[in-house]
This record gives sequence, C-alpha cells and structure tokens, in this order.
Amino acid sequence: MAIKNVWFITDDLSAIGELAAGARKLGEHVTAVLFSEQDQAKEAIACGADQVYLFKKTEGSFIEGYSKEIAGLIRAEQAGLVMVYSSASGRLIAGRIASQLETSAISNVSDLYIEDDHVVAEHMVYGGLALRKEKALSDTVVLTVGLGVFEANAKDESREGKVTEITGEAENAGIKVIEIRPKQGETVNLKVAKKVVGVGRGFANEEDLKMAEDLASATGAELACSRPIAEGEKWMGKERYVGVSGAVLKPDVYVAIGISGQIQHMVGVNDAKTIVAINKDKNAPIFKQADIGLVGDLYTVLPKITEKLKA
Amino acid sequence: MRIIACFKAVPEEQDIVVEKDRQLNFDKAEWKIGTYDLNAIEAGKQLVEAEGGQLTGLAVGGTALDSSKLKKNILSRGLDDLYLVIDEKAENADTYQTAKLLEASIRKIGEFDLVLCGAGSSDLYAQQTGNQVGELLGVPVINSVNKITPQGDKVIVERVLEDSVQVLEVSLPAVLSVTSEINVPRIPGMKDILAAKKKPVTEFTVEDIGAAYVQPTSLVLSTQAPEQAERKLNILEGDSEETIDEFVKLFNEALK
Ligand SMILES: Cc1cc2nc3c(=O)[nH]c(=O)nc-3n(C[C@H](O)[C@H](O)[C@H](O)COP(=O)(O)OP(=O)(O)OC[C@H]3O[C@@H](n4cnc5c(N)ncnc54)[C@H](O)[C@@H]3O)c2cc1C
Repeated sequence: MAIKNVWFITDDLSAIGELAAGARKLGEHVTAVLFSEQDQAKEAIACGADQVYLFKKTEGSFIEGYSKEIAGLIRAEQAGLVMVYSSASGRLIAGRIASQLETSAISNVSDLYIEDDHVVAEHMVYGGLALRKEKALSDTVVLTVGLGVFEANAKDESREGKVTEITGEAENAGIKVIEIRPKQGETVNLKVAKKVVGVGRGFANEEDLKMAEDLASATGAELACSRPIAEGEKWMGKERYVGVSGAVLKPDVYVAIGISGQIQHMVGVNDAKTIVAINKDKNAPIFKQADIGLVGDLYTVLPKITEKLKA
Repeated sequence: MRIIACFKAVPEEQDIVVEKDRQLNFDKAEWKIGTYDLNAIEAGKQLVEAEGGQLTGLAVGGTALDSSKLKKNILSRGLDDLYLVIDEKAENADTYQTAKLLEASIRKIGEFDLVLCGAGSSDLYAQQTGNQVGELLGVPVINSVNKITPQGDKVIVERVLEDSVQVLEVSLPAVLSVTSEINVPRIPGMKDILAAKKKPVTEFTVEDIGAAYVQPTSLVLSTQAPEQAERKLNILEGDSEETIDEFVKLFNEALK
C-alpha cells in the first residue's frame, strides 16, 4: 500500500531528482518544498512532484525560519511521510518540523520501504557497526535522507503540477545572517573516482603525505583519508574523509595506507571491489578486510612501491 | 554566561562485539561520555573561562548514568555542577522523547544563556537532539556551529554548510549544536579530577522534572551488523625486494 501524501524538502537542487523518485515510489500524491526560483519547481514536477511549495530564498536568508510554516502545511494536508535532504540546513529543518509535529526525525536513512502499512527505515548505528531497522509509528514520519538512496527517474517535461509561491518572510526572531563566506579549498567528488588512495594516522607529518600523492598520481587515483587526518590534523579537507560520518564510496580499488581499519572507516569502502592495505602492524584490523596486504613500514615500502609501479 | 552542556552516556564502541549471527554484544562495553559531547563541554568551558559564568552539565538517560566513574569523568571536565535525569523510562529514548526530557530539565534548572550539544551522539548519531530541543524551548537554534564569539547579549557563530560558512548573529538564550572540529577537548589533569569531587550533582527522575510521557516514534525491528564482503586476504609480510615485487604484481593486476 502506498502512503497517501508524501512530501520532500530540499535546499539542494541536485537532490530533487532522487527525492522526487523516492517520494513517487512510496506515495500517491507527492509534494515538494523548495527554496528558490520558478524553474526548479518545474524540474521537481518533471521529476515526479504533483505539487510544489516554493519558498523565497535570497542571498542571506535563513530558510530554516520557514520550519514552523512548513510544519503547518504538513499538518493541514496530513502528510504521512516527510523526507528532508540531509544537508546541514535540511537537518535543522527536519528537527524543527519534527518537534512541531511532536515526533522524532529519523536520521540518515539508507533504505526506506513500506511493510504492513508502516514506513520502515534503515540506518547505520554504533558508528557503522550495525544497521538498524525501525518501524515508524507516528502519523507523520519525518526523516532525513542523503543522495544515493533512491534512483532518479527520467524527467517527464509534460507532467503537470501545482506551484504555490510563498512570499512571506521567514520567521527568524533572534537570528541574523551577517555574512556568507564561500568555503576555502577545492571541492572533490570522491564518489566518482574509480581508484582511491586513503591515508591514515600512520603518516607522522603532513609533508609525508607527498608519498601518498606520488602513489595516487602514479595510479591515477584520488586521494582520501581517515577522519583523524581531516578533523584532528586538518591535513586534508573534510570532504576527503571516508567512513560512516564521511564519504561512502564504491571504487574499484581502495588503497588504505597507515589506516588501522576501524569499522567507522571501513563502512565507507566496504563496497570497494578490491581493498589493498599497507600497515606496519600485522594485527591491524585492516588485514582482515583486505584482498591484498603488505605488512611493512610505509616510510620504507611506499616509495619503493610507487617507483616500481611507475617502471 | 549561564551555559548548559548536554551529553549522553553511550557504550564504548571499541568494545562492542559482533557475534557470529551478526548481533551486537555489549557485555564488554563500558558506558562513557559520547565522543562528540566532549566538544560541547569544551566549548562551554572556553566560553566560561573567557567571559565568566557558570557551566552546567546535563544528561538524561537510563541507569547507565548512575555510575560514579562516569560522573567523576564528566565533572573533571570543568563543570560547575551536574544535573542527571536517571530513569528507566529515559532508556532507549528517541530524539523527540529525549528532547522533551531535556526541555523539561532545562526549564527546571532555570535561566540559561546557551544550551550546547555535540554534533551527534556517538552511538546513534541522529544529530537531532539539539535541533529538537531548541524548537521545543522556542529559542533560536543552530546546528553545525564551528565557532562561537560572545558579543554582549548575543553570540556571533560560524556555521559550516556544505559549500559555505554562514556567519550568524544569534540572540540569547539559544541552543547550539557544535561540530567535532570546533575544538580539541582537553584531557583532565590531576587538579581537575580532585576538584570534581567537590562539584554538586543533582539527580532527578522523570516525575521530578514534570515531564509527561511521550509515545515512542518508532519500534526497533532489528539491529544487526551488515554482511561483510568476502576478501582474498592475500597478506604479504616484509620489505625485501621480492616481497615488494610480489605485492606490486598483485597490486598492478587489481589496478587493471
Ligand atoms: C561515531 C564515530 C564515527 C566515526 N566516523 C569515522 C569516519 O567516518 N571515518 C573515519 O575514518 N573514522 C571515523 N571514526 C574514527 C574511527 O573510529 C577511527 O578512530 C579512525 O578511523 C582511525 O583512523 P586511522 O586508521 O587513520 O588511525 P589509527 O587507528 O591510529 O591507525 C593508524 C594505523 O597506522 C599504522 N601505522 C603507524 N605507523 C605506520 C607506519 N610507519 N607504516 C605503516 N603503518 C603505520 C598503525 O599500525 C595503525 O594501524 C569515527 C568514530 C566514531 C566514534
């Protein structure tokens, strides 16, 4: 049985296709909530929405301030399921809406289906150690989803739908946007890389990463890292760390160098076709999850490996 | 500044064992303070050190919180006092149930300028408790906060979004969830551990804080480790020329 009214909310336009397809799959009537311009409403309809609420978004607006109003619409139209794109803004909107609707926000759902007339959501818990299946019980189920959960349908430009523009201002008592700074550093899309070299705390100094860069360029791989390298050491950008709270990848080859292989990290590469590991500790957990391994000091073996690969 | 830092007791993830049937075994896992909650406590400590004021710790949960080791640990991180809502009914609470209990506790504690939460609990990592508490309290609420600078009766916060950083002026009181990068939580020294003994701890039940019972949002059907991919486990050892040649040969085949 499908849910009567499914809503999706996204502040990131690249998520429209996938969320619309997911909503279409689960619901009879699909409503999109977007924050921007008219043509994106058309796109949402072409992707499967029957109705779009278009909220105003200007440079420097704080769209989370619409949460209460959105919750009001959801309540009035008796949505059974609300899927919110799990960006930072999306997460805050989801939590605020959930509180308004007196329910929880089930987070970072990796699979979603209907079983016995209830929404069942799957998501990782205990840092990726386990997958939890939860049957949602509230009248309106609120959850957050990222990309890669649903597959976008082909666009049908002939589809028609209703677009309602909401012109009121967001309710932002006590919050003022002073400045928006573009983030420093390059953006990288690890998800499309076929080969990935991941570095971990086995590297003692930032300049030693040069050895990993050399291997990456010799093999045409993208560079990635474990969380401590990005967050503790800040030697690499946050978008480069792999794992349950970082990027989840499906490369052909993943090369883990000086990475112990903790579950939280490995969840991000479990679907790699081949896992290659270099670590000086032969008891490191990574060697239980690798196809090819070398027990050795990376400072000794890595330059030699790169040299030989280039030859 | 009057600051309340929230935290959760979670099982030590290193010691959770995956059984043969892929079920989790928590027998060896001790309860500890959530990893990311330490960032919220540290952020609170730094603000109080710079601005003066009071830092209160607050947690709701089951009997796991009733551990003297955990209490000592949390108090040694520079809290002025600690409030715990310990109740079987608070065990396995979902984000809304938790937020309702925290809301009631915060109202019971009284006036505050800031409620700080971590990026997410290190067990379930829903990243929603702060957001939901803020909405329930009806005060400004911001997640993903990477910097907090007090400015009179307001704070200036930097919030990390996917491709930009938002700088916001937030009036107090407010609820902020901080990132795990906002600071490096300090390790308590001997002095802090001794000082912890003198800090007041107040324990409440759900009845004491006057929180009404809230139905759970969901029913957990199963919690199971995902199936592991079969790996070839072709592990070589040593740094001799031959070993490296052999490794490079295998590596090269995989790269094709
Ligand atoms: C809720 C939660 C979420 C998390 N999410 C993530 C996540 O998304 N991604 C992530 O990566 N982590 C995550 N973590 C952290 C994770 O648990 C590990 O702490 C982390 O992955 C370890 O990184 P590492 O392997 O680089 O460092 P370590 O575990 O310190 O391992 C370093 C390895 O390098 C080896 N080594 C040292 N020197 C050398 C040398 N000279 N030559 C060769 N090898 C050497 C050592 O033997 C060791 O195995 C999370 C943790 C929690 C609690």
